Amino acid sequence: MSTIKEKFNQISPSEFFYRNRDMAGFSNPTRSLYTAVREFVENGLDACDQKGILPDIHLSIKAVDPEKPDPKQYILTVKDNGPGIESKHVPLAFGTVLYGSKFGLKQARGMFGLGATMAILYGQITTNKPVTVKSSTDGKTSDEYELLLDIQKNKPVILKHKTKDVSKQGLSVSICLEGDYSKAGSKIRDYVSQTSLITPYASITFDDPKGEKYHYSRMIKTMPKPPTIIRPHPYGIDVETIRRMMIESQFEIPTIDDKMIEKVRKDLGLSKKNLGFTAIMAKAKKKWKNLSRQVRVVIALMSFLKMDFDKLSKIRIEDLDVPNKQLVYWDFGDSTSKTIDMDPESQYYRQLTNTVQGETLTAFLTKRFQRVGPTTAVKFAQFAGFKPEKRMGTMTNVELAKLSDSLQKFDDFMTPDPSCLAPLGEEPLEKGIRKFFNPDFLTVIQRTASAYSGFPFVIEMGIAYGGDITSRGIKVYRFANRIPLLYDEGSDVVLKVINDIDWSRYKAKGDPPLVIVSHICSTRIPYKTAGKENVADRQEIEKELRLTIQFLARKLSVFMNKRGQAEAARKRANLYAKYVPLIAQFCTELAGKKKEPQYQKILQEEKPIENE
Amino acid sequence: MSKKSDKAKALSKKAQEKQKNILEMLKTHGAKIYDDLDNGQFPKFSIPSRSVNNIVYDKKIRQYILGNATSLRSSKNTSQLRSFTQLMWLAFFANRLTQEKKSSTLRDIYYSSQAFAIDFEDQAESDNIIVDLEAVTSRPREDFHIFPEERSSIFGDLNIEYTIPGYEGKSMNLSNHPDGYAIGPSLTTAELVDTSAEIVIAIEKGGLFTRFVEEQVDKKFKSIIINTGGQAPRSTRTLLKRLHDEMKLPIIILTDGDVYGEHIAMVIKSGSANAAHLRELTVPDAKWVGVWATDIEKYKLPTIPMTESDVKRCYDLQKDPRYQDGIWKKELDVFLRIKRKAELEAFSKYGLTNITDKYLPQKLELAKSL
Repeated sequence: MSTIKEKFNQISPSEFFYRNRDMAGFSNPTRSLYTAVREFVENGLDACDQKGILPDIHLSIKAVDPEKPDPKQYILTVKDNGPGIESKHVPLAFGTVLYGSKFGLKQARGMFGLGATMAILYGQITTNKPVTVKSSTDGKTSDEYELLLDIQKNKPVILKHKTKDVSKQGLSVSICLEGDYSKAGSKIRDYVSQTSLITPYASITFDDPKGEKYHYSRMIKTMPKPPTIIRPHPYGIDVETIRRMMIESQFEIPTIDDKMIEKVRKDLGLSKKNLGFTAIMAKAKKKWKNLSRQVRVVIALMSFLKMDFDKLSKIRIEDLDVPNKQLVYWDFGDSTSKTIDMDPESQYYRQLTNTVQGETLTAFLTKRFQRVGPTTAVKFAQFAGFKPEKRMGTMTNVELAKLSDSLQKFDDFMTPDPSCLAPLGEEPLEKGIRKFFNPDFLTVIQRTASAYSGFPFVIEMGIAYGGDITSRGIKVYRFANRIPLLYDEGSDVVLKVINDIDWSRYKAKGDPPLVIVSHICSTRIPYKTAGKENVADRQEIEKELRLTIQFLARKLSVFMNKRGQAEAARKRANLYAKYVPLIAQFCTELAGKKKEPQYQKILQEEKPIENE
Repeated sequence: MSKKSDKAKALSKKAQEKQKNILEMLKTHGAKIYDDLDNGQFPKFSIPSRSVNNIVYDKKIRQYILGNATSLRSSKNTSQLRSFTQLMWLAFFANRLTQEKKSSTLRDIYYSSQAFAIDFEDQAESDNIIVDLEAVTSRPREDFHIFPEERSSIFGDLNIEYTIPGYEGKSMNLSNHPDGYAIGPSLTTAELVDTSAEIVIAIEKGGLFTRFVEEQVDKKFKSIIINTGGQAPRSTRTLLKRLHDEMKLPIIILTDGDVYGEHIAMVIKSGSANAAHLRELTVPDAKWVGVWATDIEKYKLPTIPMTESDVKRCYDLQKDPRYQDGIWKKELDVFLRIKRKAELEAFSKYGLTNITDKYLPQKLELAKSL
């Protein structure tokens, strides 16, 4: 018999991402440079947002050897004025994959800070140069690291570390990477410009490799309210998530050690006294209301063990067998395992079973999910065919599947709580658009929150006409969670809805100089592809978008109407100015007069009244 | 000699009088517009409505006329401002033409406008404005020295004397040139002096006109031959009317044997709806002698089938009040029944001179009894 020696190679997350870098947007030098810029800028903005700091972002791209043709090596540096990262975390944060602090259910530009690590990884792969990180959390000293990533081990390799005195807090990350600025340049400039449009409270500068300096100054000094982390909504919860939440809802039988016994004595007010079993039980009954759950469990156990504290310290609970109503414990005294039957009628039995079987269904729903009250919970239980007091711990797999299924189908849950979202707000949005386009007409709206598949979303949008807008036709700026979406415009739901609208109904005929700025905020944007550049046409989002655009378009049409009237008056005046003098000329000769009639009077009266 | 000179003077005086009247009228219109402007008002005037609803048939004078409806043209209305200005220009231009005794074609008008920044889009637009001027002044455009392109002609023993500038008193016999004379402004305004003819034969087609001249129809039947060139132009109708009224000549009309031919005759007799704003263009006593629908059967003429539009035209004309009785109704009904038509040339089947030798004499005879 021969044995085949099998060798399983485990790959580290770094290696995994290295092998799948296309997925993360690092497919070629053009796209990679653009993606790297995005990841670092967004990380910087997110860091500032979280701490309520008005962001100052400095982006610089310098060619290592400007004479070389593209693609070539570039040094990409992004500096922010955020909270910085504590020195001890820097190597792990920038030298490993899957190290991040962005967990929880709330809106953020990216997730987990993964992209930045990918960029570092890409830079290292293409240039074999380290990443330089400078971080100052206090604005006094800065820790500067040069790091390489050990791809196989997924571990940082610190090449250099020094501490310097500085005057500003913040983080600066600098990588060297293979890029193609001649091709990526326009997209990067668009990205920077549009980012400043949707982040009017940030100041962004960009030094490009050709020596051009782009500066977008801060337009407003107030930051939008930061989002809060919230419980999930019943919609969009799968069986696996419920199972995980359910385990959290169950409690362990506490270990009864000396420390625990001491606590129980103290809580019962018996620290100094040694009472017998019956007396302890009587005392516990009196104080029951004020006892913590842990203490109650211990008392309940004691009621079946019929032991005082002294005896209790000499045993260990081995099992609480609910189906057989038995309690099994190990007696240290004679080193045997002993079993006692429990009286299911006892109130203490209930206490114990509840502990191991977890919360009731209604408690589970009201405590673990957002916006579910007791009434809704009971209604749901009826809908799903469960008893409201059904213990979560007693659910079979089939029942769990039924529960999860019913959660999706129940219509009476309230819409998701949007407090985890961070839309920009109407005023900042309006200011941003006004500064950018100086339009003749501008209106913005932030819709109330809505939800698709349990994920809340908010749409805010602005429409601008004329002014500095020189493009003909409708130009759409798309944003999702404050990120500009620049690629794959054609298949985006926003574009779809805008194109579906009959703009001539809103007096925007032909190719009007129109700009639409669309911002979708959600805890999860339903992107169509992994590239995260176009939003899928979810029915709920599409409907909200349509309502939003129609609202704005109606306001536009009021403006266009007024403008049309002014235009008509202007046209009329022009016609009079053209024809009346001719009439005067002809009738003068016809009437055999020498001097022309005083027709200027009527031209004066017909001058249009400028109301803008 | 002196007699002739007197006559020329008289003619000239008559023409001057007419010119004076027209200039006076234009001046009145111009002064009104001038005063409006001078008073700070947008000038306006009313114009007889030429819409279909306002075109009615007057049985008494046997022609279409405009009803009482008028429409207001205001220079304040921007949708009318352009045409208002165009009309003002036209009046202004007609005034110059009349003063300088120059004549102009419809096409000339269209081009002349461009010198004055009056933007006619095409000739159809300028033609329409000319009709407006006619409607406002109740005068035909020829009075303002505006004429269409000529395509009709006249031949026969008729002496005329010109009244147009440069030719005043000069006389001419219209049988001197075998191709005939084009009927234009100088002929229409000429004095009709004398003729040996006893009848005027208006014929629809140039080809037959030439045949008639060759066959000396003018001498054989003591006639003046006029080629209307299809639908008779205004100048030709004016001349026909004058020949009838001033020379007391009966008018007979020969057309193709189809519904359009019948209507060509009708327009000479009682005018067209298009010119309902004008009088003095009709010859109510003119007689249509052929080719009738009944002739097609009677003379066994080679025929061609009527087209759909021919048939439709028949039905349209059946609603026209002028087609409600007499041969007009009868022939129309026969056309509709046989659904076939015949051209004047169809007689050539029986020899080139068949039409002048056989058909024409019979019809002339018949005309006396119509």
